[in-house]
Amino acid sequence: MGSYLIKRLGASLLTAFLASILVFLLVRLVPGDVVGQMMGQAGGADAERAVRAFFGLDQPIYVQYLVWIGDVLRGDLGTSWTRGLPVTQMVGSAFLVTLEIGLVTLFIATVIGVPLGIVAGMHEGRTLDNVIQGFNIIGLAAPVFWVGLMLLVGVSSLLAWSPPLRFVGPFKSLSDNIAILALPVASLGLLQAAAYSQFVRQNVVSTLHQEYVRTAIAKGVPVRSIFFKHILRNVLIPIVTFMGLILIQILGGVVIIESLFALPGLGRLLLSAIETRDYPVVQGALLVVVATAMVVNLLIDLAYRAIDPRIRVS
Amino acid sequence: MTGPAAIVAVNAPAAKPGRIARLGRFVRREPGYALGLVLIAFLAVVTFFPGLFTDESPFAISVANALQAPSAAHWFGTDEVGRDVFARVVYGARVTLSICAGSLLISALLGGLLGLISGYFGGWLDQVLGRFVDVMLSFPPIILGVIITGVLGPATQNLILALSIVYLPVFFRIARAGALAEANQTYVEAARSIGLTEGAILRRHVARNVAPLILTQYMILFPLILQIQAALGFLGLGVQPPTPDWGAILQQGKDYILFAPWMSIFPGLAVLVTAFALILVGRALQARINRR
Amino acid sequence: MHMQSHGLLKGRRLRRLAASLLLAASFAAGSAAVQAEDLYGSAMEGANRGGTLNVGLLVEPPGLDPFHQAAEARIRLTVLIYQGLFYEGAGGEPIPLLAESWEVSDDGLVYTIKLRDGVVFHNGETMDAEDVAYSYNYIRDPENGSPGAGDFGVITSIEVVDPLTVRFTLSSPNASLPMTLGNKYGAVVPAGYFDDENAKNRMNAESVGTGPFKLVEFNPNQNMLIARHEEYWDEGMPYLDEINFSFLPNSASMLVALRNQRVDLVPLSRPQDVQQVSDVEGLVIERWPSLNQKALDLGAELEPLDDPRVRKAIALGIDKEEIMRASIGDFGEVLGTMVAGMQDTWGLPLDEVPNQTRDVEAAKALLAEAGHGDGVSLTLTTINGYDWMDPAAVTLREQLADIGIDLQIQRVDLGVWINNFRSSQMGLTFNDWAPQPDPNLLFFRHFHMKPEGADFRNWNNEEASSLLREGRATSDPAKRKEIYAEFQKILAETVPTVMLFSQDHVTVSSERVKNFEQHPTGWYFGLARTALEQ
Repeated sequence: MGSYLIKRLGASLLTAFLASILVFLLVRLVPGDVVGQMMGQAGGADAERAVRAFFGLDQPIYVQYLVWIGDVLRGDLGTSWTRGLPVTQMVGSAFLVTLEIGLVTLFIATVIGVPLGIVAGMHEGRTLDNVIQGFNIIGLAAPVFWVGLMLLVGVSSLLAWSPPLRFVGPFKSLSDNIAILALPVASLGLLQAAAYSQFVRQNVVSTLHQEYVRTAIAKGVPVRSIFFKHILRNVLIPIVTFMGLILIQILGGVVIIESLFALPGLGRLLLSAIETRDYPVVQGALLVVVATAMVVNLLIDLAYRAIDPRIRVS
Repeated sequence: MTGPAAIVAVNAPAAKPGRIARLGRFVRREPGYALGLVLIAFLAVVTFFPGLFTDESPFAISVANALQAPSAAHWFGTDEVGRDVFARVVYGARVTLSICAGSLLISALLGGLLGLISGYFGGWLDQVLGRFVDVMLSFPPIILGVIITGVLGPATQNLILALSIVYLPVFFRIARAGALAEANQTYVEAARSIGLTEGAILRRHVARNVAPLILTQYMILFPLILQIQAALGFLGLGVQPPTPDWGAILQQGKDYILFAPWMSIFPGLAVLVTAFALILVGRALQARINRR
Repeated sequence: MHMQSHGLLKGRRLRRLAASLLLAASFAAGSAAVQAEDLYGSAMEGANRGGTLNVGLLVEPPGLDPFHQAAEARIRLTVLIYQGLFYEGAGGEPIPLLAESWEVSDDGLVYTIKLRDGVVFHNGETMDAEDVAYSYNYIRDPENGSPGAGDFGVITSIEVVDPLTVRFTLSSPNASLPMTLGNKYGAVVPAGYFDDENAKNRMNAESVGTGPFKLVEFNPNQNMLIARHEEYWDEGMPYLDEINFSFLPNSASMLVALRNQRVDLVPLSRPQDVQQVSDVEGLVIERWPSLNQKALDLGAELEPLDDPRVRKAIALGIDKEEIMRASIGDFGEVLGTMVAGMQDTWGLPLDEVPNQTRDVEAAKALLAEAGHGDGVSLTLTTINGYDWMDPAAVTLREQLADIGIDLQIQRVDLGVWINNFRSSQMGLTFNDWAPQPDPNLLFFRHFHMKPEGADFRNWNNEEASSLLREGRATSDPAKRKEIYAEFQKILAETVPTVMLFSQDHVTVSSERVKNFEQHPTGWYFGLARTALEQ
């Protein structure tokens, strides 16, 4: 286990390092930079040069990279070029918002998706299964931002209500927090519950088709005991794995939902930083996204191995 | 592992009875698949012959007729410059679907090829490509799309390029896993022993066996790429105006959502129905592969 | 509210503008103290003091530093926090703000400015001439990297005469110097403020201005909260305790928030959104004239736009009215060669502007003469996120198709567009001009030949440039107007740009919001005079 962990971590770190270079280069390849944005249609060549030097943009690109990565290794993501705030602080608070959305969505998706999937799987081929599958496929097919838009406008015109504008954390005011997150989580949750339910259903069905389960059914073992003895155990591992995958998916999908519902999360921070060419923020935020995806993947792996010791280092 | 014959083979035993009976049995057995195929066939007709469905032009503006609600003359209403939304959605099918199909085809071909080579030959090449794919997979697709269209500028061909990069790693991994499994099969050993070159083995045997996996994956990813394409269009990073595209219509529509919700409802429904049909077909194909 | 009443309101506003212009003429002659009531809008009898106003905004300022951020979104907000020596009078006349009065030497080269007494910074220090000299010396030094540095280039020295008097010396006469010392770029901050390496960053966390409000917090992608400056020099101002600006990423969520009273006041960036809330009870919709300008720019570096005949053909192929209706409905005014808010003061009368009536045949003939009788293909650049540009672009495409021009539309993001613009590689593009309350500030930099001006469109027009120099040096309003009229004729004749329309400012507010006036620049000066009913 120990050597596996080291190997895994080593590979992740290498990927993170390569990703950091890619991020650094890509963001600089986007035409226009922060100086042009600050100067707008005004400004002169001298002033422009001065600002460029201030941000270190007059240095060769590898020097810029080395300075940045050196700071990153010391735990300093730099200072935002437009906001003047430490990137660590900006990305940190945005990450908490996104993480909360992700975890709440995951919770909702699990609570709805897993039971639906099990029920559908146990009733394979019957009406109930078809109805649930219909829900699943529609959930998977609907564009998240479109569902969000329809929910926002629908709720506003039917109930004359819309979410508060100022984001409030759950520990400050739970009721406000719920009011803010209800619609975005509902739109994301629909999709993820559908994905979850579909996935669980497939696993239940394939377990039911296993020889030993068929035998048990043939022998007249009660459904309840088959469920607890065979199915639940077999479905548990995929559920854990899928949790991780969904969490990563939510991290990616949240970009548009955050923009639609004005949430100050990582996705919106990234979009606005790309727009203003605030390189330190783009780099810091992307690095956090990439690192999170890696940590989640690692956790899935470890959880997998803890639940099923048969799995060997591949 | 499955072969290309697998998909055909499922229908093979039913070759004897009459066509209608065969069709009836197929619909009864797999209603989802059948519905999906019908919808896709319909979408294909819309895509290739949009003129059959509307006489209106998707481009003709008429400022005096802007933002009209759906009516007999304009089934889906009109947009902010008075264009017929129904015509734009109908003509948009071609734009949207061909961008998605094309970019996914590029990722399937390129990702599949690289994956085959990487898995079959292994070694340092495999290490390098594998690492690179890991890096790409660690970015959320939409963010990747935003950055790439940012670097290249928003234009249709750049959008296709950005979208084709998004799922390239998935095809790479599938092809690589497939090739890895095939490379150790006895028939490959046999082929080597009779003196076939590696390239020929790869081409004639391994690729042929991996192709159905890629094809299935293509169908599974199609609805996903459709949603990403729509999302990028929604962010204004899609095709250029006045080209009709579902994501782009949604992007214009969102600003008029309270006053002219039809501009948002119908293109969104178009995405939904198309994705729905694609998922149905993709699932059925997947089930066939799994059954093998 | 009905549209008619907005029209009336607009008429009233325009008359007010004309009145304040007469005022401006008397200022130019010498110096006079101005009553503080004229600043930031009109005072309100028996205004209720206190309360928090919620304002919804679509565009978030990238930062709040008035010295280093040129973004219009920054200027709109920081005018409430920071102050310059002069205030931009609604009709384009400078009114003393932190200055009390000023005198100009006979040769127009020396400005002696008397400062207002008893002005206190947000940090509690008292403002004096040292602070003023420091602040303007800082911004005019290009090494300090301010986008405003170019405008201050005519200043050769700034001296402290006594604690309440400053003397500015210029290299050549410049009639718009007082306006340059306004609220757009720079402000008066405590002497030595930028000595601290971290000072620029600190401006986003705490303010050091003299304005009626001070910064409480500024959260990325969320909100900006400002609170009353208790020691503000104009007693009784402002009426509100706090203003909270929420930044919303799209107009759908903005309109929904407005309908559900999550915000009290919204300046609509798309006036046609009025339609979407006009049926809501308890909302007041108001229209205000503006200094902004939506234009089509024609960069001569792009063939065949180097041929004036082609540019003129394009001008003749355009129906400005239709483009405006497609992009913003009726909420604006079609332009000749001057923004709507300054048309009466500085504009060439509309019936004297050449090339304004659509004439397809003449346009075709011009194109044929230029060797493009078989048609020509051009690419129009628009900016992602500028809502008016998409409908305007498709409408322009249809119009130019009639004269044989095939228009391709290329939407780019703002960063890319600015990059092209700054490097004078703009080609054919839509442009959304920032307001400039003075003709010299409006035209000089854009149209004067390099290197004195930026000549973004590679117009390279000697005659126009000399008129611009003359206009800058002339302070007599009547003469100045004549010079700029001559300039505008050349502009309309040779078409480096086609000014399309000015978009009215439209504000929607709940009935509780009282006495808000929208300044024609689009800057939110008026919030300093806004009150909330209890």
